[in-house]
Amino acid sequence: MSSLSDARRNLRERSEKHLRRAVLSELGRGQPSTVQPYQPKGGRLWRALFVPVYRRVPWSAKERAMGALGMTATGWKAPEREPAEPWRPPADMADRVQAKPAAPTEAASDS
Amino acid sequence: MERVVVIGGGGAGTAAATITKRLNPALKVSVFTEFTDIAYSPCGIPFVHGREIPSFDDLFLSTVERYREDGLDMRMETVVTDIDLDRRTITTKNEPEGFDQLILCTGFFWEQPDVPGVNLEGIHYVKDIRKSMEFDKQLDSMKRIVVVGAGPVGVEMAGGLAHRGLQVDLVDEGPWVLHEILDPDVAKPVHDSLQARGVTLHLGTKVESFEGDKGGHVCAVHTTDGIFECDAVVTGLHKVPNTALAEAAGLKLGTTGAVSVDDHMRTSAPGVWAAGDVVEIPHGLNMIPIVGLTGAHAYAQGRVAAVNITGGDLAYDPVWVPWGMVAGDYTIGGFSMGENLAKSIGIPYVLAKGVGITKARYYPGAEKTFVKLLAEPDTLRLIGGVIHGGEGVKERCDFLAFAAKRGATLYDLAYMENIYSPPIGALFEPIQIAAQNALAAQRENKLAVA
Repeated sequence: MSSLSDARRNLRERSEKHLRRAVLSELGRGQPSTVQPYQPKGGRLWRALFVPVYRRVPWSAKERAMGALGMTATGWKAPEREPAEPWRPPADMADRVQAKPAAPTEAASDS
Repeated sequence: MERVVVIGGGGAGTAAATITKRLNPALKVSVFTEFTDIAYSPCGIPFVHGREIPSFDDLFLSTVERYREDGLDMRMETVVTDIDLDRRTITTKNEPEGFDQLILCTGFFWEQPDVPGVNLEGIHYVKDIRKSMEFDKQLDSMKRIVVVGAGPVGVEMAGGLAHRGLQVDLVDEGPWVLHEILDPDVAKPVHDSLQARGVTLHLGTKVESFEGDKGGHVCAVHTTDGIFECDAVVTGLHKVPNTALAEAAGLKLGTTGAVSVDDHMRTSAPGVWAAGDVVEIPHGLNMIPIVGLTGAHAYAQGRVAAVNITGGDLAYDPVWVPWGMVAGDYTIGGFSMGENLAKSIGIPYVLAKGVGITKARYYPGAEKTFVKLLAEPDTLRLIGGVIHGGEGVKERCDFLAFAAKRGATLYDLAYMENIYSPPIGALFEPIQIAAQNALAAQRENKLAVA
C-alpha cells in the first residue's frame, strides 16, 4: 500500500475509535444495565483535542473534508434520494386533526 | 474457451460462479477454495451449537457434485498462493493456472485478541463448518465456556451455548452488548434475555491473557474483572477482510483496508473483480466505505459481478444495511445507523419514537414493538433506526432501509398504508406511531435536534 493510503486508513481507524469511545460513555450514562466502557491507556491527544474539535465542525463541512481527504467512495453514484417531492400534510393538518374526534380504537373498527 | 476463475467458495464466490455459468454456459468457470465444503450457511453454526437446529447437515444447501453437474470446475481444498496480473495467472500447488477474468471472493478472517496465549488450543473461531463440527463434539464434555467479544456472533454463540446448558461468561470491553450497532436504550431487554438463558455478562472488561494447561489447552481467561476458568474460548471480535492475495497483487485497497471496487464490482485492475467480505461498499447516506456486511450482501455482489462479466451492465447500490438478530430470545434490528453511530460521525438528526404492538391487542401473543427512527432535521428524511421486540422486526427493518434509500420522510411514514389483520398486524403500525409522534412534537416545537 502507498503511504498515502496507509495514512488515510490510519486516520480513519484512530478517529473512529476515539469518536465512538467518547459517544459510548456519553450515551450509556444513566441507561439501565449499562456500565462504563473499558478505558485503555493512551490516546489523550485524540480525546482532548480531536474529539471536541471534530464535534464543533458542522456536518456539511465534515462531509466536504472527508471527500477532499479521499475518505469517501469513488466509482460509485451517490443515491438519488429525491425521486419526487415527498408528500406532506396540508399546512392546516394540525387544526384538522384536533378538530376530529379521537382516533378510533381497534375494537371499534373490528368488523 | 474463455476462462473465469473465482477464488473463494462463500456466498459471493458461489453466486458469482453459478450465475456466470448460467448466463454464459460457454465460459469455463473454475472455483478455487481452501475448504472441503461449499454452499453451507455459516450463519447457522451458533444455532446448531445451541441445539436450536438439530444438525450441521441442515446448514448445507448443495453439494460439490451438484456444482460439477452444473458444469463448474470445482477445485476444493486448493489454496491460491499468488496472482500474477501481468501473466493473467494464479498459482496453486506451485503450478500456474491461467484466467481471462478473475473474481476475488476471499472473504474474511476473524480478528484475533491481541493478548498472550492467543495461540493455545481450544480457542475457537466460528467460520469453518468442519472445525465447528469437531468443536461441537468436544462441547459434549465441556461445562464452562468464555465468549470473548459481544458482537453479533459472540452474542449468538453465548446465547446458544447457554441454551445448551453450558455455563457461559461473555466478556467485552464495551458498556453494553452489541454496542457497535445497538443503542444503549435497548441494552436492558437484551441483557435480561441473555441472563435469563444463563449467560454471565462481564462488560467494560478487557481480556488480558489466556492461560493454558500443561497440554497447551486454554484453561482460563485473565481479565480486568478477574480470572474465569474455562474448558474453551469462543471469540467473536471483528471480521477482517482477507486481502493478502489482493494486496500482494497490487490491487487498490480502501480506507477500511478492504479491496476497493466500483459499483460494478470492478477492482483497480482490468478484468479483475471482487465481491463479498473482501470488499468495502459505500454507505448510502454518506458514501463512506464500510465492511462487515451480511451473507445476503455478499451473494448480491457476486451476482452483480457475474452479470457484468458476462456482458451485462448492472450496478450495485450503496448500502443502507438492514440488520436483525435474536439476542438470547429477544429480537432486535435496525438499518443504516442508530444514535450511537450518528453521534459518533456527527450527523445531526431528530428522533421519532413510538411503541406499537405486533398483532391486534386482543389476539393471543401480541407483543410490544419499539421503533426509533432518525431523520434529517430540515427535510425529515429517514437516515436510520432501531427496532426491537416481537415479530416483524426483520420485515420492518428491510422496509425502512428501502424507504430510506428512496428518500422517504417522516411525513411519508406517518401517513403510510398498513395491514390490519388481527393475527399479524394491529390497526396502528408501530412505524406510523413513531412518525406521528415526531410530527406531533414538531407541531409543538418540541422536536429537538441531536
